[in-house]
Amino acid sequence: MIHFDNVTKVYSHQSRPALQGVNVAVEKGEFVFLVGPSGSGKSTFLRLILKEERPTQGGIHVAGKDLSKLTNWKIPHLRRRIGCVFQDFRLLPNKTVNENVAFALEVIGKPRRFIRKVVPEVIDLVGLEGKSHRMPDELSGGEQQRVAIARAFVNRPMVLLADEPTGNIDPATSIGIMKVLDRINRTGTTVVMATHDAAIVDAFRKRVVELEDGRVVRDQSRGVYGQAYGGV
Amino acid sequence: MRAQFVLQEIWIGLRRNLTMTIALVVTVAIAMALFGTGVLLKMQVDKSNNYWSDKVEVSIYLCNKMSANPSCHKAEPTQGEKDQIEAQLKAMPQVADVTAETQQQAFQRARERFKDTPGFSDTIQVGDIPDSFRVKLKNPKEYQAVVAQMQGRQGVDQVINERAILEKFFKILGGLQWAAMIIAAIQVVAAVLLVANTIRLSAFNRRRETGIMRLVGASNLYIQLPFVLEGAIAGLIGGIFAAVLLGFSKVFLLGRLQQNLQFATSLGWLDVIQVIVFAMCFGVVLCALASFLTLRRYLKI
Ligand SMILES: Nc1ncnc2c1ncn2[C@@H]1O[C@H](COP(=O)(O)OP(=O)(O)OP(=O)(O)O)[C@@H](O)[C@H]1O
Ligand SMILES: [Mg+2]
Repeated sequence: MIHFDNVTKVYSHQSRPALQGVNVAVEKGEFVFLVGPSGSGKSTFLRLILKEERPTQGGIHVAGKDLSKLTNWKIPHLRRRIGCVFQDFRLLPNKTVNENVAFALEVIGKPRRFIRKVVPEVIDLVGLEGKSHRMPDELSGGEQQRVAIARAFVNRPMVLLADEPTGNIDPATSIGIMKVLDRINRTGTTVVMATHDAAIVDAFRKRVVELEDGRVVRDQSRGVYGQAYGGV
Repeated sequence: MRAQFVLQEIWIGLRRNLTMTIALVVTVAIAMALFGTGVLLKMQVDKSNNYWSDKVEVSIYLCNKMSANPSCHKAEPTQGEKDQIEAQLKAMPQVADVTAETQQQAFQRARERFKDTPGFSDTIQVGDIPDSFRVKLKNPKEYQAVVAQMQGRQGVDQVINERAILEKFFKILGGLQWAAMIIAAIQVVAAVLLVANTIRLSAFNRRRETGIMRLVGASNLYIQLPFVLEGAIAGLIGGIFAAVLLGFSKVFLLGRLQQNLQFATSLGWLDVIQVIVFAMCFGVVLCALASFLTLRRYLKI
């Protein structure tokens, strides 16, 4: 589903590469934790998948498509097949839960009937039934993140990218968020999640890819967060 | 494409930078009104020029009792002298046609022409305008030879080349036209800068929305359209004001000009409407294009 082939990324005006010779293959339906210290290149890895950044060297394939051959014109179509969740939720403050989720479909021109049908379904899926008319500021951080996940998933993407989705959330609530991501993963959606949260990584025992200074230093199925960062 | 969504976004955008929008509308209105006025003046000049170019004549006024020219000695030339002058004119290769106008005919014509201003027409008397020859030229530009031969000739009071007078007048109109165009051009630059600024503010205000749109894969058209239409609508509103101003231009500037200067040709409303439509389209396209180009800088793809 996602193939990094010897990928190096050097940001302009930067001498040190953010990623260096990265080779990673994520297959369909996998759940992958991306771990590593701050500045190790996790977010860069995710941005490359979205073609928000271009690799300096190497090739990236997503869903069988070579991103270097993807024209600007086609990038939106790539992004429609990839959902994104961030640490800071990125909800629209002046729209209700329902409208925030529906927004993702409206702006890609989905018909109104379809939107009315699928939005409540996905709101139920993330466990927000009964709260669809609340505004974001009437929700807890955990609930806001569920809205963000609902928005990312409402178009049934093949891949869900999550950049520290539990970064602003207390540990107890984080477990709930992880359960939602796990549920989404079980529908066959590939999930790649960058995180600093050792407890979660250790509890879930999924594949772990560890980055350090832009290099992959560990790629372990059913892995743990890692000794150096206070793991098991 | 969801029209309601797009319209809502435009409305929000226009309202959010209301002061900028107003400044933009005013600038576009002035730019387009001046531009349109320039075009109208040019049309008027061209039209009048065409009309006059085959009608202008060189008029040769003969001496009479009232002549101020000392060489006339306050006396009319004899019939023989008049015939001589006419013969000489007719012999010139540049001359197409010569008609004689007597004092009586000239008097009638003047009365007719100024009949709308009775105070003036009543004071005209026979003899105010002397006998004259009206000379039509084969090529109106070759008046020099005729003027040179007739000026100072025995029995001739004045030689008036209507074309030279008209040319002076057209030059003034031409100057006005250029002044309007130059100010319009400056206003156009100001409008472009204002559009750029307005759209930049708009893009900044809506960066959350556009960021999410980008992430969920909205097409560039969908992301940019509200901004471009925002510019276009501001341009359109400016254009509507410009249309009103151009209406005033037609009535007050060109209307007055026609009245006071006895233009035989007048621009019809059809011409004015053409100019208005053109100016409005120009305003809309200008603003939309400026928005679009600004977006390329401020909205990442
Ligand atoms: N837009 C950018 N321009 C220049 N350098 C950048 C940019 N984004 C990231 N970097 C650099 O690239 C390196 C990797 O950054 P990245 O954001 O991928 O790290 P990260 O692993 O996500 O860190 P964190 O855990 O703090 O989020 C860092 O050294 C960072 O300074
Ligand atoms: Mg990061």
